[in-house]
Amino acid sequence: MKQKMDVLQGTLALMILKTLDVLGPLHGYGIARRIEQISRDVFSVNQGSLYPVLLKLEQEGAITSEWGASENNRRARFYRLTKDGRKQLQAETRDWEQTAAIIGRFFEVKAEDLS
Amino acid sequence: MKFLRRFLTRLANFATRRRDDERLKEEIEEHIALQTAENLRAGLSPAEARRRAMLKFGAVEAIKEDYRAERGMLFIETLLQDIRFGLRMLRKSSGFTAVAVLTLALGIGANATMFILVDAVLFKNLPIADSDRVLYISSTSLETGRGRGESYPDFLYLQSNARSFQSLAAFSGDDVDVSDKSAVPTQVRGGLLTFNAFSVIGQKPIIGRDFLPEDARLGAPPVVILSHSLWQSRYDRDPSIIGRTIRINEIPTTVIGVMPPGMRFPRANELWMPVIPTGKWQKREFRGLTVFGRLAPAATLTSARAELTTLARDLEAAYPATNKNIGIQVQTYNDYFTGRDTRLIYLALLGAVGFVLLIACANVANLLLARANSRIREISIRVALGARRWRVTRQLLVESIMLAALGGVLGSLLGVLGVRIYRATILPDDTPAYLSFSVDYRVLAYLLAITILTGILFGLAPALRLSRLDINASLKEGGQGSGRSARARSLSTVLVVAEMALAFVLLVGAGLMIRSFLNMTRTPIGAKTDNILSMDIILRPSKYPTPQSQISFHQQLRAHLQALPGIKSVAMASNLPGDGWTDFVYELEGRPLSDPQRLPRIGGVVVSPSYFPVLRIQPVRGRVFSDLDGVSGVPVVVVNKTFARMSWPNDDPMGKRLRLVMPPLNTPNAPASVPQTWLTVVGVVPDIVQSDSSEGAHDPLIYLPYQQLPQREMVVAALAVVPPGSLSSAFRREVLAMDPDLPVTDLRTLNALLRERAWPWRIYGSMFSIFAAIALLLASVGLYAVIAHSVSQRTQEIGVRIALGASRAAILRMVFMHGFRQLVIGLVVGLVASFALTQILGDLLIGVDPLDPLTFLSVAFVLALASVLGCAIPACRAMRVDPMVALRYE
Repeated sequence: MKQKMDVLQGTLALMILKTLDVLGPLHGYGIARRIEQISRDVFSVNQGSLYPVLLKLEQEGAITSEWGASENNRRARFYRLTKDGRKQLQAETRDWEQTAAIIGRFFEVKAEDLS
Repeated sequence: MKFLRRFLTRLANFATRRRDDERLKEEIEEHIALQTAENLRAGLSPAEARRRAMLKFGAVEAIKEDYRAERGMLFIETLLQDIRFGLRMLRKSSGFTAVAVLTLALGIGANATMFILVDAVLFKNLPIADSDRVLYISSTSLETGRGRGESYPDFLYLQSNARSFQSLAAFSGDDVDVSDKSAVPTQVRGGLLTFNAFSVIGQKPIIGRDFLPEDARLGAPPVVILSHSLWQSRYDRDPSIIGRTIRINEIPTTVIGVMPPGMRFPRANELWMPVIPTGKWQKREFRGLTVFGRLAPAATLTSARAELTTLARDLEAAYPATNKNIGIQVQTYNDYFTGRDTRLIYLALLGAVGFVLLIACANVANLLLARANSRIREISIRVALGARRWRVTRQLLVESIMLAALGGVLGSLLGVLGVRIYRATILPDDTPAYLSFSVDYRVLAYLLAITILTGILFGLAPALRLSRLDINASLKEGGQGSGRSARARSLSTVLVVAEMALAFVLLVGAGLMIRSFLNMTRTPIGAKTDNILSMDIILRPSKYPTPQSQISFHQQLRAHLQALPGIKSVAMASNLPGDGWTDFVYELEGRPLSDPQRLPRIGGVVVSPSYFPVLRIQPVRGRVFSDLDGVSGVPVVVVNKTFARMSWPNDDPMGKRLRLVMPPLNTPNAPASVPQTWLTVVGVVPDIVQSDSSEGAHDPLIYLPYQQLPQREMVVAALAVVPPGSLSSAFRREVLAMDPDLPVTDLRTLNALLRERAWPWRIYGSMFSIFAAIALLLASVGLYAVIAHSVSQRTQEIGVRIALGASRAAILRMVFMHGFRQLVIGLVVGLVASFALTQILGDLLIGVDPLDPLTFLSVAFVLALASVLGCAIPACRAMRVDPMVALRYE
């Protein structure tokens, strides 16, 4: 249970960073919507789990936040990528691509390739 | 880096107790509002739109919890929560809290007192830098195993050859007389030091200078360095003391320095002089020095020991005449200065208080187990609501540690109070001045450690039991009813048994110490000791070189004292009853000494003719001394009954002859020579206690007439017809009038001297008794609590039994059997443990066997009595149970 949470949190953080990188400042709901649009099942039940991750990223300095006005003109907290966060995103993207490539190659391997 | 930043933010959040809950709440509201709007646009009804939005968001409380965990220090926050909750629980059941805290305070208090004492006596070192790297070297006879000092020539050899030490120095101790115009002459503990001694231990005088090599040259003018306390008490902190001449043992000596306050190296010295290697110091067989030195950086105690053993062997090979079978000892300060018996008694007492604390723990654990019942429901609900097991355990442990902490604080206060009482009780003379009973880091660490350990020790079992509840069963039962499982009952039985066993061991220890003390004081002295005032007079050989001069001084003094109003008779003796004796090697006529290795020794007391009348002793045979003995006529001796029986078991001792062959070597206060003429036994006197630690039996003794064997050091004993204490200042005045340089020491009544002789057993015996009494109290209260609790739990069952026709006597028997089973098992376990543990006390016991059946039986009796009392109240309550009330009880 806990392990699955960790994996989710790890990928969730990367998804948040990428979303903010592509779309600029967004509030929590906006981020959740984007992530949902791209990967439907992550947030089918638990959109709220986004907020602890946002706080973690903010405390690490990858993002900052400030109050702004939402679509229906009420106060909402807007998150923005920082310079550190951009660097972190680049590094993690690289890592992710490498990992994905390696795992991908493993999945392509057939028995005769190894003989 | 990232981690650090996150950690610091969290720490800051925690420290500022920032409450970001508002921000999250607002964000969540907005999030749900936006989602609801979205759902409305998709055509849902307002209620449904909001419901789906909330479903999609997830469990708000869980997310808040995660969010908080992310923001601050979750562990500490929940710990604070636990503590707040614990405080509420402790306040709520204030009766339970008071009993538990008091019990723990007794246990921890006893430990605190004992540890402060142990710390002062066994662990605290000298107040010098790196004192644990300073080691003490002495020689030891490989034949007899007895420790001795080092000779000056051997010291020089070690000094120039030992590589394990940065440098070596040596000291020797001797009491010296200080006299000058500042105050009355006084005897103080003095010491001789090699000139480098202070620099080896890294100490410097606060005024004046340290010794220089020139001060230790042959023919150097005598110099002295004073302790701060002597400077303060005798010279009123007058800085002009430097360069002044005072008389030490009547030799004019120049004061060259004053050491800093508290510096009394090695033990309680008041002044120091340099060792000047003349006369006896040049002899290799005069082993009067203790060598000490600071270890070289790479050396250890083991390596130093190995090196010095080799050096001792070299010396043995080079000087077989003096150094044959002379080994070497390298010891730490505490090994060297603290006697084995002292260490033993303190460790035994520390063990005793450890037992007291264990009993206290068992008691509190039992209280917690009993109370666990009423908390089953609370805990079950918490577990049902999702509290994890370790979280519940932690909550309960936090509560126990808080109990322990309260007990620890109160106990520490009790401990300090205990040390005060101890210090007020012991004789001031017996506390070496260097001992400080202050609370240092070791004491604090010890107290903290035992407090926390105590909390865990008594809290763990009940906490684990509660956290392993079968919540289904306990919620169904409604938290009442049978509740206590068989396992819980057996756990508290085990605890009570352990308490009984521990109390048994402690009581046996206390009983043996008390019997030793009684044996010591019960042995009849054999003489009338009341109304006798005594003082020590030590004549300096420089001023009183001949036996004639000594005799004439003593006779004059005696005449002066005798003339004082209120004095009936004045006697002189080398040793008073209870004050030891002088060893002599002797030979009985007709039984020549055959084996020179095993010379028979006998304790001898040199007395003036008035000695026996002052002690009001009549001879059982023959006569005691007259004024003519030792002056003219045949040399004579008086023996005690034990010696007569030992030497001539089948013969009449009267007229038998013996002679003193020579004084044994290295005997302090030995006369320079003894007349080797035959002494005729002219009288037999009753046995008088003479040894300073009597084993209950009397020692064989001989009495020699003073004029026959004059001594420099004599005790004056005067029989008074007025309260003897009132004569003290008159005694001092008379001595001062005769010799202004002569100090009077040990001016006290004979009864006071005899009391001092027994004081260690009295002190340690009463400490043991106090601890044992606490143990007994705690153990019987513990038994009472368990029995009472079980009776109240079984009220219904007892009611049924009575309703079904059980007699009151049967009920009574049932309750008592319940208690007695625990008592009997406890007694058996305690008995076995005592067999093993009392052997440790062996050496400290006087005239009583470690397995003394009387002590064991009475301890068993006392424990049984306490248990009867503990069971009686609950048993009576059980007997009076009204079946009707009991059956309606539920």
